[in-house]
Amino acid sequence: MTNYLKLAQQVVRQAASDGLEVEVIITQSKETEIRVSRGEVEQLSQSGSRGMGVRAIDGGRTGYAYTSDFSDKSIEDTWRSAVELAQVATPDEYRGLPDPQPIPSDDLEIWDANLVNVPTADKIEVAKRVEQAALNYDPRVIITQWCTYQDSIDHVYLANSKGFAGEYGRTTVASFVIGIARDENGMTNAFGLGVSNYFADLDPEAIGREAGEKAVSILSGQPVETQIGTVILDPVVGAQILTALSQALSAEAWQKKRSFLMDRMGQQVGNDMVTLMDNGRMPRGVSSAPFDGEGVPTKATRLIDEGVLQNLIYDSYSARKENKQSTGNAQRNGHRSTPALGPSNFYMQPGHLTRDEIIKGVDKGLYVISVMQTGGIDPVSGDCSMGANGLWIENGEIVGPVGGVTIATTLDGFLNNITQVGNDLRIVPFFGAIGVPTLRLDNVTIGGTKKQ
Amino acid sequence: MIDKALAQKVLSAALRTGADLAEVYVEDVTSLRLALEDTKIEQAVRGADRGAGIRVVFGNLVTYAYTDSLDEASLLDAASAAASAGSGSAKSQVIDLTARKSSLEYPILKPFDSMSISDKAALLSQMDEAGRAYNPLIAQVYGWYQEISRRVWVYNSDGVAAQDDRFIVEMGGGVIARKNGTIQRAYSGFGGQMGLELLDKNSVAGHIQRQAESAVRMLDAKPCPAGDMTVVMCNGWGGVLFHEACGHQMEADFITKGSSAYTGKIGQQVANPIITAIDDGTIPGRRGSLRFDDDGTPAQRTVLIEKGVLKDYMWDLVEARRAKRASTGNGRRESYRHMPMPRMTNTYIDQGEHDPQEIIESVKKGVYIKSMAGGQADISKGDFVFNATEAYMIENGKLTYPVRGATVFGNGPKVLMEIDMVGNDLALDPGMGTCGKTQGAKVSVGQPTIRIPKVTVGGTDEPVSGAIG
Ligand SMILES: [Zn+2]
Repeated sequence: MTNYLKLAQQVVRQAASDGLEVEVIITQSKETEIRVSRGEVEQLSQSGSRGMGVRAIDGGRTGYAYTSDFSDKSIEDTWRSAVELAQVATPDEYRGLPDPQPIPSDDLEIWDANLVNVPTADKIEVAKRVEQAALNYDPRVIITQWCTYQDSIDHVYLANSKGFAGEYGRTTVASFVIGIARDENGMTNAFGLGVSNYFADLDPEAIGREAGEKAVSILSGQPVETQIGTVILDPVVGAQILTALSQALSAEAWQKKRSFLMDRMGQQVGNDMVTLMDNGRMPRGVSSAPFDGEGVPTKATRLIDEGVLQNLIYDSYSARKENKQSTGNAQRNGHRSTPALGPSNFYMQPGHLTRDEIIKGVDKGLYVISVMQTGGIDPVSGDCSMGANGLWIENGEIVGPVGGVTIATTLDGFLNNITQVGNDLRIVPFFGAIGVPTLRLDNVTIGGTKKQ
Repeated sequence: MIDKALAQKVLSAALRTGADLAEVYVEDVTSLRLALEDTKIEQAVRGADRGAGIRVVFGNLVTYAYTDSLDEASLLDAASAAASAGSGSAKSQVIDLTARKSSLEYPILKPFDSMSISDKAALLSQMDEAGRAYNPLIAQVYGWYQEISRRVWVYNSDGVAAQDDRFIVEMGGGVIARKNGTIQRAYSGFGGQMGLELLDKNSVAGHIQRQAESAVRMLDAKPCPAGDMTVVMCNGWGGVLFHEACGHQMEADFITKGSSAYTGKIGQQVANPIITAIDDGTIPGRRGSLRFDDDGTPAQRTVLIEKGVLKDYMWDLVEARRAKRASTGNGRRESYRHMPMPRMTNTYIDQGEHDPQEIIESVKKGVYIKSMAGGQADISKGDFVFNATEAYMIENGKLTYPVRGATVFGNGPKVLMEIDMVGNDLALDPGMGTCGKTQGAKVSVGQPTIRIPKVTVGGTDEPVSGAIG
């Protein structure tokens, strides 16, 4: 068994020279993916892989190269390539490796030591239970698509020429399913998903039920009249908006003039119910890690506090530019990419109301179950529009399904028009891990049929 | 990359436990990516990915194992991992592997290494200067260059031995324009399956100036009205609508599962008779073109819809075997770490009759979508949504003013029946499309200008009132 941390340090020593900073990441993972359909395993994939990425910084110029081939020749080609590519980049005085800092040793509970011993048959069973729970919810759930169990046992080894050397292991277990429902008016679908660090934390029945229940609830949905009104956002829907907010709250977006929130530090940017956090050390957080993609310890950062913009997320580059400290938010997508600034576990602080209490308080409005959007939520311009399916509420009661409508606001409008926050915070693994409770939002344009 | 004798040996090992079919897929990919932002070349990344995936089919079960080492021991380990789901003994033999030949030619006139990396970086800097020089309202310019050389080999126990080389180059850029707190951005790319001759046909300065022009114009856009309206969609990239809202539903995995609205509809009228739609994996220069797909099946041109009638779906090897028919050469995968699935290649709505100007003139009140971010569609229901990044109101047959925040929402199968004008200006997109059906695949989309008589448009402005044209 290769000692990958030693190997990373060795490559750092080979490549580094006077004035040339080098960082080496090695990732090693073992992955299982199982897909079932109609109670049978349809696909089963089990493999291990590894890769190495080398970042070279020469006088503020960065080059990067990666490989999956660990032969001596390939490793040498890779670091030489990184060094050579640095010559192409533009010098930037703020580029550089962070100084090593001690890594706190608290247990983040991201390692399920038992996962490696879970038999494949038990994992297949999870996928089958997810599918069954979706189908059992209602006879109108006719089939599932992409009913998947997957897990990954990952090790990260990071070393740099400033003397940092660290490693950690993290396990991730996830399941995803699309439930497809049909009635006389056609088909609908909705997904259910769950993700955790521990095999035992996955709740197959809840994942399947979510897909089945949501798909059935929006069957025969009809557009409502175009209007400006109240919507309630399911956490899965709210998470898509929070993903865009997380991008607008990155220091890089500000420095590069691509955030709608720019230049509003210290100001009230949202309703006082809105508190947004990024926490890379959340216990059992799927994006938690002891240190970030460039070896900086992770931490909790309060970004918006009771509606007031307080902080941004930083990596060492953006922090150096403003003479600040990195918040430990340099993210890496395995060994294939340079560290990039992004959220870790990013979430909105929950309130006190249950989902049902929020519904009860609405005279007339749309409970949004699922949305479709691509580029419709823009962290740069702040535009925010989506196609939506959901349930119509009148006098605090759900009266019928709605489909074929659009909802539109702006991200400013979103932050300011949140009038109720639920107690049901849920982390959704989109871009990193994004968490939000059920929200009530007023003054939203609901686009449907023409006004009569 | 691996010789025939080794492939044969690995296939035999994979068949050991009674599989119906075994396959070895080998891939060798090198890539270069340069990215500019804030006037600086910030990223210069070179990648090397090499590995193999072993796929074994036992009836309805498909197992897969991959390895990033191509030595005999690693390949045999992967073969035995993939075979371990079986419990029988070998029932099929490896048929002699005979190399398949393709007559498709995708010439590379100027290889990627015919220009130095620093000259490629210099093009991005030119783009930056041209973008900033366009107008003082341009607050930011970003650009990227990417080249990918992907060599693949496929061997299977039915005797398939196929090899394909895919060279994809792409360049793109975007701008952010700011005025009085209003921010707009515009970005686009161009590229294809070709060499650096791409750069002879396209000017980087011209490209970024077009983005700048669009973003600056959109700064003065008014909010888009919400409600049902006539929508005219531009040619070329507008084809993303068909790709998302209908194309995915014609992929065989959704069909065989019964989750697509087009299941069982072959021979039926599914679109207005003015519509013919095609998936063609053999167009030289296009991103989605292949000689052989990732199952080793020759690429082909498949008519999906002919004059409104559904003719065929897009098949990969596994789905085609299940349905006891031939694959259409649409089996694609992101890398050796992924199993193939049915995917589109270059998909478009074919040429129609109307002059595009005539289409705009026919609209009393509606929206013209000139450019949009990608779209998303719902597989079973066929609902789609996409967000316009450049759009204009049409009033009495004329483009009057730009509108922002327009979201078009409709139902693919329904819209296909309703499209009532198809232009004579068929174009494929500029060459920057990547489809993301759980795995990334390079694709092209295309269409002539089309008119959708009534579809839901979302916006933040007051609802439209008055006649729908
Ligand atoms: Zn797609």
